Amino acid sequence: MATAPCRTQLEQRPGHWLGRFDAMASPCEVLVETDSEQEARAVLEAVAGCAWRIEAKYSRYRDGNVVHAINSSAGRPIRVDDETADLLDFAAQLHQLSDGLFDVTSGVLRRAWRFDGGQQLPDAELIKQLLPLVGWHRTAWRRPTFRMEPGMQVDFGGFGKEYAVDQAAASARALTTGSCLVNLGGDLAVARPRRDGSAWQVGVEAAGAAPGQAATLIPLRSGALATSGDAHRYLLRDGRRYTHILDPRTGWPVEDAPRSVTVVADTCTQAGMLTTLAMLQGRQAEAFLRDEGVRAWVQR
Amino acid sequence: MKNGKIGSALAAATYSLLGTLPAPPAVAEESGRWDLDTALMYYSEGDDRVQDVSLGILAKRSFDDDRVLNLDLTVDTLTGASPSGATALGAAQTFTRPSGKGTYTTPAGAIPLDDSFLDTRVALGVGWTQPLARLYTLSAGLGFSTEYDYTHLGANLSLARDFNQRNTTVSAGLAYSMDDIDPVGGAPLPLSAMADVGDLSNRRGTDSKDVLDLLLGVTQVINRTTIVRLNYSYSDASGYLTDPYKILSLVDPLTGDTLGRSPAPGTEGPSGVYLFESRPDTRAKHALFGEVKKFLGGKVLDVSYRFMTDDWGIDSHTVEGKLRWPIGDSMFIEPQLRYYTQTAADFYQVSLLSGEPLPLYASADSRLSDMDAITVGVKFGWTTPSSNEWSARLAYYSQTGNVDGSQLIGSQNDFKQYPDMDAVIVQFGYRFRL
Repeated sequence: MATAPCRTQLEQRPGHWLGRFDAMASPCEVLVETDSEQEARAVLEAVAGCAWRIEAKYSRYRDGNVVHAINSSAGRPIRVDDETADLLDFAAQLHQLSDGLFDVTSGVLRRAWRFDGGQQLPDAELIKQLLPLVGWHRTAWRRPTFRMEPGMQVDFGGFGKEYAVDQAAASARALTTGSCLVNLGGDLAVARPRRDGSAWQVGVEAAGAAPGQAATLIPLRSGALATSGDAHRYLLRDGRRYTHILDPRTGWPVEDAPRSVTVVADTCTQAGMLTTLAMLQGRQAEAFLRDEGVRAWVQR
Repeated sequence: MKNGKIGSALAAATYSLLGTLPAPPAVAEESGRWDLDTALMYYSEGDDRVQDVSLGILAKRSFDDDRVLNLDLTVDTLTGASPSGATALGAAQTFTRPSGKGTYTTPAGAIPLDDSFLDTRVALGVGWTQPLARLYTLSAGLGFSTEYDYTHLGANLSLARDFNQRNTTVSAGLAYSMDDIDPVGGAPLPLSAMADVGDLSNRRGTDSKDVLDLLLGVTQVINRTTIVRLNYSYSDASGYLTDPYKILSLVDPLTGDTLGRSPAPGTEGPSGVYLFESRPDTRAKHALFGEVKKFLGGKVLDVSYRFMTDDWGIDSHTVEGKLRWPIGDSMFIEPQLRYYTQTAADFYQVSLLSGEPLPLYASADSRLSDMDAITVGVKFGWTTPSSNEWSARLAYYSQTGNVDGSQLIGSQNDFKQYPDMDAVIVQFGYRFRL
């Protein structure tokens, strides 16, 4: 399949190439430490292709993909491909590890909640009605067959972007011997350390900051970084901030969750899960991250 | 949520999702991983000739800064019979085994095959590659192998430099090996006659050879889909280059029949006069190799040609083509075709003529004769969701000799004198990461 040339842009910077494209409703970047424009372009195309592929396959906003097939299965068993099966395995493990706090079926609750910075709280009755449609324990997953109650929804948005970062970084690593940084809308991974051993300087925007406002600079030699935050996704009511992080067990937002959490880990998927799990801890987010012993930045 | 750490469980879940360890991890300054490539190969020649089962493991560990450690281990077991060099004859022929203990007999009309082959070879190699300066890569390696009658020790060193924004790589390499040969029963004196059982008077002890190889190579990226590689290599071997188990029949210059002989009374021994072969003690080879690799929308076409010429008079040409054809996202099928042709060594002859002075060098080894070979194969590969790769290869090899008609005398024309050979190769591979 030919890719329209305008979908990616490549420009040379001192010591590296900078590629840009849009995916998953976010601006994305790839930095490649190489002298060869061809190599940089090959990496950019591979990274963008990987992001677009995963977006097309797992976006809940698109028809005709595997998520759509699962969500319109109406209680029938669905046989899924290996990659989707791996993601479902991961979802099952995370559900268990988090004692049910992390749940890929919690997306239906969005029907009740609109996190647009507004004031409208949902009808408690509606949430009560939706709760029976939430819960990994209501699904039957036996690789490669997945089945769930009619009306339930699966959403890989909780780790899909981070997964795409890791996959894209892996494809970049195969194409260049130089260092490479993949950034999909703020979740990023370094595919290989830079030749001179120096770190990439990663700017993490403060939650609620105006564009252009100073960001926290995090030096990253290798590994990955992910941020979870509600800079623009919250609800204000009676002076109370309701974050977009919902507790799937109650159907209500987690109380006193931080405004944003940034974590550095070996892979972007791990970093992303640690930020999400930290947010789900609410007031205990910092304690959770301390116990995990990870490098983290929390903004209240 | 469970108290305390979920980090390690999360890491395990992530690694199983991504199918790979992150390289390199976020905190550790230096860490690597092992890439293992294992292969099991079965090679079987028709007519109960050589059978070889080989198991190979190649382990590669990458470290930060593109430093790579390679370790390889190969174990193979060889059984079966191979042509001794003696001509087929209208009567049964008896030969003394290479060990000097016992005899074997070839029926009338058949090409004599020595069935004493049984060997196990173990080979070990270690290699190290690292960048030397910004555009240089240095590789060094050591190799050792041992089998019943042969020990090999080798070392190699090569340096590559990138040019032209790393689109051109020029490399130069040097390899040196020292091999010790300890033939079963001792190395026979060249052109001495095969003796009766128990008579080792024409055997010497061990011998050795040294081989020096030089390699110059250029790899050029032509564009995003095409890579071209050109290599020149020079190989200089000196020492014992004779095959201690190969013989020639001494024949009547008119009838073509092997001269008969009788063993000493009370002993067993050869039924005819057979002389051990003799080869020069140096051999210089020049080879040119060219390869084009082209990516064609997911498919990979690989075409190569090799020309080799040496001072024994052998010229060979090899043409090989492979086309890797993806099936879906995780499988591929790769048809392979290879054609090989060579001219005979100057000293190759079907037999030695009685009454004529013996040449300095002579061999009837079918591998030194004029011959063609073709290999047709197909490889199938499957990559698992965790990026491990299974592969299976099936190939058919057919070798046909062209013995110069002017070399055949009298009754030699009544029988097939070149041991044509067909072989089947079955190979399984599994590549994974630790």
